[in-house]
Amino acid sequence: MAKRKKPAPFDYARKWPLRLTFLLTTLFLYAPIVVLVIFSFNNSRRGGNVIWRGFTTDYYVKAWNNAGLVEAFVNSLAIAVISTVFAVFLGAITAVTLWRFRFPFKPAYEGLVALPIVIPEICLGVAIAVLFSTLGLYVPPGAPWPFNLTNIIIAHITFSFPFAAMVIRTRLNTFNREMEEAAKDLGASEYRVFRDILLPHMKPGLIAGALLAFTLSLDDFVITFFTSGPDTVTFPVKVYSMVRFSVTPEINAASTVLILITLVVTAIAMRFQTFEDPR
Amino acid sequence: MPDPIISIQGVSKYFGDFMAVEDITIDIEPGEIFALLGPSGCGKSTLLRMIAGFEDPSEGRVLIGGEDMTGVPANKRPVNMVFQSYAVFPHMTVSQNVAYGLKMDGLPKAEIKEKVAEALEQVHLSQFAARLPDQLSGGQRQRVALARALAKRPRVLLLDEPLSALDAKLRDAMRLELVKLQESVGVSFVMVTHDQSEALAMADRVAVLKDGKLMQLADPMTLYQKPANRFVADFIGRVNFFDVTQSTKGSAEIIAGPLGALTLPAPVTGTGEHVLALRPEYIRLSPAKEGGLTGTLGDVGFQGDSSIVEVTLEGGKQVQALAGPEDTTMLLSLGTGAAVALSIDLSQARLLPA
Repeated sequence: MAKRKKPAPFDYARKWPLRLTFLLTTLFLYAPIVVLVIFSFNNSRRGGNVIWRGFTTDYYVKAWNNAGLVEAFVNSLAIAVISTVFAVFLGAITAVTLWRFRFPFKPAYEGLVALPIVIPEICLGVAIAVLFSTLGLYVPPGAPWPFNLTNIIIAHITFSFPFAAMVIRTRLNTFNREMEEAAKDLGASEYRVFRDILLPHMKPGLIAGALLAFTLSLDDFVITFFTSGPDTVTFPVKVYSMVRFSVTPEINAASTVLILITLVVTAIAMRFQTFEDPR
Repeated sequence: MPDPIISIQGVSKYFGDFMAVEDITIDIEPGEIFALLGPSGCGKSTLLRMIAGFEDPSEGRVLIGGEDMTGVPANKRPVNMVFQSYAVFPHMTVSQNVAYGLKMDGLPKAEIKEKVAEALEQVHLSQFAARLPDQLSGGQRQRVALARALAKRPRVLLLDEPLSALDAKLRDAMRLELVKLQESVGVSFVMVTHDQSEALAMADRVAVLKDGKLMQLADPMTLYQKPANRFVADFIGRVNFFDVTQSTKGSAEIIAGPLGALTLPAPVTGTGEHVLALRPEYIRLSPAKEGGLTGTLGDVGFQGDSSIVEVTLEGGKQVQALAGPEDTTMLLSLGTGAAVALSIDLSQARLLPA
């Protein structure tokens, strides 16, 4: 009789159906991105994503020299950074309030905070646009940068802070309340407990929440589309308008840079997150 | 007698309708190890938390060093606590943990450094000062919690189930070490525990609680030998209970029950339903002979130095007896089901209200 062995961690690779699934899903996930990156180096004049005509970095230069594209790119990054700061701040306050205190209608409030996560983005986009125009809350054209982006930033905070709040709230659930009492027992005031004990515990949640808010803001199209004006174009909106004429390797190049930035930001965040849990 | 370091005066605590602690008055002496003992939900932790300042008494007051602590928050009280989970701060090193309380007191850096070194020395953790808590074992983390609390030189050290999270071997070692530590630092320890053997082994005095009420307050020897009621007798150590009816006939007390008519040497007041509490070590077993009290031998639970033996009396009542090494050999050779004679040392029996 054959001796039964416990499967080693990589044994699955010997079973062909699993191997095939693994291969296909990876392909499925990364093929578009790989194609995008490869064809950003394609030396073809137009419709550059069909036939490979040799290697060039010209399109990176071209994208860099496309003032409209660069402006949209910088706008997107600015909106993402500013809205992330606000979203994490509001999310943290909301999460701590929900975690720490009991008050009437708390379950209803909790539901209300989470609602924007499930409401279709298109509805939220229309709603925010309608609200701005009803109240006349439009930043006058010609306002100095980045204040001309205020409408988009407000919209982005609206949809991203519930995500941040959820992530931070989840992190708070793992907090050992005895830690707080121990700090108090040792003489710490409420403020010191928050600063010295609770905040360090929240850190991974704050980073994860920030990362989430940042990427959500960076690639948002629908809501941005409803709140952006002619001089406040973001990268996704700009790409959309360019693609309507033709997909040039210029867009590939700009997108590749964006992917790179996202990866770098994520890697930095992951490094900060190597904070061990209390057991 | 010196003034009590902690004086709990008529303290009650309700949570809504639930009475967690009911009218408890206890004085804790300077320099003693005091244990609050009871099953879970008896109010012992609530009482400890009221001393620490995490709960306010609904009635009564707590005095520390003669000062009324009513309205004084936890961070202003001259006591420190070792938590059940230790609550060591995971993002701070061992020495940062120990320094935290001193930093909150606003001591100068040099003094903090000195006191941290001293506290770590006391708990034998000096070589771990730079480590993070997750690089320590459970026992070492507990030492960090101890050092952190002791560094503040509290009037009283509070310990919430200090040994419950340790494994059996370490627990025994830590018992002795805590007692030694208390002797060397000299402050009172107030510990909460559900483990009676822990309380008996470590404490100078024990308060036994049940359903928020104080059942008995005494030194361990008295608790074991002279329990005040059935609950304490049952909770502390092993015991056999016999339902007995008592009648007074002259000066001797005659009791009718499963043991037959007995004369108790101890003075007893009143007549009626009582229980007779008898520790297993006061029942001696021998091979059955004519007359006397007999029973059927059941399981012999061998424990190395002694055995806990089950015997079924005529009439079905089960009792436990403690057998020494020689008696164990004898009983094992008799085998389960054999008839045995019981001789009872009635001078050690306690008659308690039913």
